[in-house]
Amino acid sequence: MRLHLVELILFSTYAELRAERARSYLGLLWWIVEPAMNMGVYYLVFAVIFRMGGPDYIPFLLIGLTLWQWFKSCISHGGYSIWQQLPLIRQVKLPLQVFPSVQILADTVKFLCILAILLIVLWSTGYPPNVAYAALLPVLLVELIFVAACTYVVAAVVPLVPDLRFIIEQVLQVVMFLSGIVFSLDGLPPALRRWFELNPIVELVDAGRGILMRGEWPDWFALGRVALISLALYAFGSLLITRLTPRYVKLPT
Amino acid sequence: MSDPIIRLENVGVAFNAQLRVGSPRFWALEDVSLSLAPGDRLGVVGRNGSGKSTLLRTIAGIITPDRGRLKRAPVSCQLLSLALGFVPHLSGRDNAVLSGLMLGLRRREIMQRLPAILEFSELGDFFDQPISSYSTGMTMRLGFSVAMQVEPDVLLIDEVLAVGDTEFQQKSGSALRERIHSGKTIVFVSHDDEQIQQVCNRALWIEHGRSMMQGPVEAVLAAYHAAPSPSSPPPAGS
Repeated sequence: MRLHLVELILFSTYAELRAERARSYLGLLWWIVEPAMNMGVYYLVFAVIFRMGGPDYIPFLLIGLTLWQWFKSCISHGGYSIWQQLPLIRQVKLPLQVFPSVQILADTVKFLCILAILLIVLWSTGYPPNVAYAALLPVLLVELIFVAACTYVVAAVVPLVPDLRFIIEQVLQVVMFLSGIVFSLDGLPPALRRWFELNPIVELVDAGRGILMRGEWPDWFALGRVALISLALYAFGSLLITRLTPRYVKLPT
Repeated sequence: MSDPIIRLENVGVAFNAQLRVGSPRFWALEDVSLSLAPGDRLGVVGRNGSGKSTLLRTIAGIITPDRGRLKRAPVSCQLLSLALGFVPHLSGRDNAVLSGLMLGLRRREIMQRLPAILEFSELGDFFDQPISSYSTGMTMRLGFSVAMQVEPDVLLIDEVLAVGDTEFQQKSGSALRERIHSGKTIVFVSHDDEQIQQVCNRALWIEHGRSMMQGPVEAVLAAYHAAPSPSSPPPAGS
């Protein structure tokens, strides 16, 4: 039974990526071009026009945006996945965690492509690979759990309150600015910064920047705390979907 | 008679009428009781809006009853769903795999059955083309060919007995009849008395979400037609 679901998720992910490629002329190229354009806009506004940052601002921004885009695209795609599949859900009995999981996996594949390019850019601009890269895998794994947890919770709630679609993008925008993606939070008073660090994204992005830019090992204690919070949130999101499933099929068409 | 594999006792199902806070619920099923033994071929009759499709989805386990009791032995129940989960930009082959996985088959099983699906659907070279290039008839042929690969313990059929053009209708109809008469347990919803008589050995009549009568096909159909239609007056002279 469980293996069957793994097969379903993997094949659906393949189908999703393949269909996405077929939906545009440039196909797979958009996986790279779209985030690159997005980064270009932030670079133009914050680095060129507002002259933010200092010498390290470009890698700071690129790493932050790469990790943030992964989170954001999972929420934007996976968060609507159950709502979008309501007609299918009325036809067949499936654990509905399948639908957000497929979107998370598809967006993770795209993220890995962008990450590969980010690494090449970093290496060629004076930020070579270092020993701390060994910590990249656990950091990314924790981010994956956190991303999946948030996506599950959004995916569980959107079918019941579809109006949320209109505010999710705005909320994401605010969270991005509060997470130190484009501005460093170092300028904040320490008392305030402590509050900001309760945000798991701040920890994860900080850890990523430390590894890739400065060869620093992550704060394992903080990472462990984020991992625990993420696992708990993931279990909650999954339970929420299971509990709410009987209500989705009874929603008006 | 063997023990029932599915039993509904005074089952009711309520839906939200609108997506609004405090919107009233309406009961699509008010009070339905039925029992289904292995090998039963139960026909469900009733007027439009009587709750037949809701009943099928409740038996399938997709909808959970809001009241009453539903007992199900550990059996698989599946709605006969055509083109389930089809994605337009994917090939017929990929869609067959995807749809088969959604219907509960293992990937290995679908791979083994792909030649049979290709043959039955008569798609030829189109099988590897995106289904967005298919006609409606071709998509239905593929959908039916995939759906027929799934062999649940209880097959639930909502009206559809045959699909496609005249020729394929005969072929799909006879394939499904063969399935039905192979000793499978079936629940079949239809407006067509003749089809119910051909397919079923028992019938259930539901009206406004209530089960009115369950028993031999002829007796149930006779009672159903003898009852005045609740929503429209009886025709003059009857």
